[in-house]
Amino acid sequence: MDALGLARLQFAVTTSFHFLFVLVTLGLVTLVAVTQTRAAFSADPVHGRMTRFWGRLYVVNYALGIATGIVMEFQFGLNWSGLSTFAGDVFGAPLAVETLVAFFLESTFLGLWIFGWDRLGRWVHLALIWLVALTAYASALWIMAANGFLQHPVGHELRDGVLRMTDFSALLTNPTFVTAFGHVCFAALTVGGVFLTGVSAYHFLRRTDEVDFFRRSLRLGVVTTALATPALVGLGFAQIPIVEEHQPDKFDAVGAVDGAGLGFMIQIGLVLLLVSWVTVPLLARDLVVRLRFPLHLMVAGIPLPFVAAIGGWLFREIGRQPWLVQGLLTTEDALSHVDRGQLLVSFIGFTAVFAALAVADWALIARYARRGPASSDVEPVSPMVPAL
Amino acid sequence: MEKVWVVLLTVLTCGYFALAGFDYGVGVLLRAFARDERERRLVLRAMTPFFLGNEVWLVAAVGVLFGAFPRLEGELLSSQHTAFTVLLVALVAFTAAVQLRSPAWDPVLVGAALLVAVAWGVLLGRVLGGPAWLWAAGLPALFALHGVVFLAWRLRGDLRARAARWALALAPAAAVFTVAAALTAGAVPEPAYGLAAAVALALLGGAWLAVRAGRWRAAFGCTAALCALPVVAVFGARDVVTTSVMADLPTLRALGWVALAVLPLVLLFQWTTWWAHRVPR
Repeated sequence: MDALGLARLQFAVTTSFHFLFVLVTLGLVTLVAVTQTRAAFSADPVHGRMTRFWGRLYVVNYALGIATGIVMEFQFGLNWSGLSTFAGDVFGAPLAVETLVAFFLESTFLGLWIFGWDRLGRWVHLALIWLVALTAYASALWIMAANGFLQHPVGHELRDGVLRMTDFSALLTNPTFVTAFGHVCFAALTVGGVFLTGVSAYHFLRRTDEVDFFRRSLRLGVVTTALATPALVGLGFAQIPIVEEHQPDKFDAVGAVDGAGLGFMIQIGLVLLLVSWVTVPLLARDLVVRLRFPLHLMVAGIPLPFVAAIGGWLFREIGRQPWLVQGLLTTEDALSHVDRGQLLVSFIGFTAVFAALAVADWALIARYARRGPASSDVEPVSPMVPAL
Repeated sequence: MEKVWVVLLTVLTCGYFALAGFDYGVGVLLRAFARDERERRLVLRAMTPFFLGNEVWLVAAVGVLFGAFPRLEGELLSSQHTAFTVLLVALVAFTAAVQLRSPAWDPVLVGAALLVAVAWGVLLGRVLGGPAWLWAAGLPALFALHGVVFLAWRLRGDLRARAARWALALAPAAAVFTVAAALTAGAVPEPAYGLAAAVALALLGGAWLAVRAGRWRAAFGCTAALCALPVVAVFGARDVVTTSVMADLPTLRALGWVALAVLPLVLLFQWTTWWAHRVPR
């Protein structure tokens, strides 16, 4: 594989890893915030226990989200210096805003939330998780604004061979940004909903004693999925005319990989939409638990939204080729002047360390999920807070 | 307008070295300093409340670098491709190890912290024109000193006394590095490197006296400034930043409004983190 191929493959692999963790981060933080809000207003301790259990899974997932995110940020300059040279004036702005407005604040708020448990007042602690959620979505907003610019460059003029910004607000009204951002948000909520549903179903299959705890969690998961998927699918199809208008080649010249990605995404989206709505009436009188076979499907379904999300990304990004900035800068021209050997080293290095850490992270999430609330009731919300 | 962004980039980068510096220092020394699991937990428990807030200073700095200095960002990172790759791999491993830590993670945590410090040392050495091996050894020593001074401030009893002893032992090593780095710095013009070295030695002396007097916060301030000093030297001594690498005025103006609105909030909540975990006096 040549240098360009290696750099593209590295970007695809690192972005896919990052995206898997980001989806869980966005989806779970919303549901943890909802649960903690109910805990703040309710006398029933189950909401507080749910906040702790799901919050712990969220925090462990966040560890790899932030770690892979740092690499994403550096990677533009490392491998695609042609992009910052040519389009940095416009493309760099939303990325800079993302780091200042979102990443910086999100991490600071999350640190306060984790270590403020039992130390801060109930309302301050509740405000913190909502601030974490808000900044997490703000992060997605600015990243999608930057990505939307690559799909359909707006708000710029070409001067002295580089793009100069003429209208910052155009980045936020860009048609390839607005619907796609909504689509990603509802995809994340779907991931969160399916995850809650699957983990709860697993505990019912194991005949858990925590019936009330997991009944509530299962309901929250199913209802979230049922509410999110119509918007998810709707905003997905709403992008078709936009893509046809601005990037007609995406559909005309669809290849094997991006075509399969698109197909999987649409099928999985529709299946989740259908199944979640069929499940909603079965929540009455715990029918879904007593029937048992839906529980097996719920556990098996946990990976589905991830597959769909990666498929969607592949379609969005591969379909744009050979352009990095649609119609203005080719991917080839954006490649840094670095040796193939250096790119091979970084590709192997990042892929190996991401894969190893992702497996370790998922193993820890699976262990915490299996142990159930009996363990999260007594153990700290993060391994960063060791018991003394 | 341009000057403001250079100052902001300097402040964010200095903030990263001054704050994340003690994370890496504590990480490097975790197994050597703390003798059993109970002590290791006490040591980590002192550091981790600040961990998430510290590392993001780097993210913010690189964000500003990309947004306001787009033509420097690509040049700088791609010209040091392998060094940054090593740095990032280590950074990812350290970030994950601290957040997921159980005793089994310790080799990763310690090794990655060391590798981060070494990689930053090599990068700074290259920019400042010093020998790579000197900086590769010197920066971990600076971070380690900063780490034990932080521990002396935040811990109690035996561990505090031990941290203070370690700080007094590490300070001369840091002084030797400072002198050697100043003598071998090729790219830095004469008066600047003399000044930087003098300030560094003064800060080391200040930290040494403060540790002996039990003035922990003053000592921490000195070693924090010491860790940030190489960054100031880079921005002060090398003409790395010119208007030709910067974004055009409309971009800077748009980013300026955002920064003006957000930076006070960032500083407020960073301060809140320290306030929420203040040491009772």
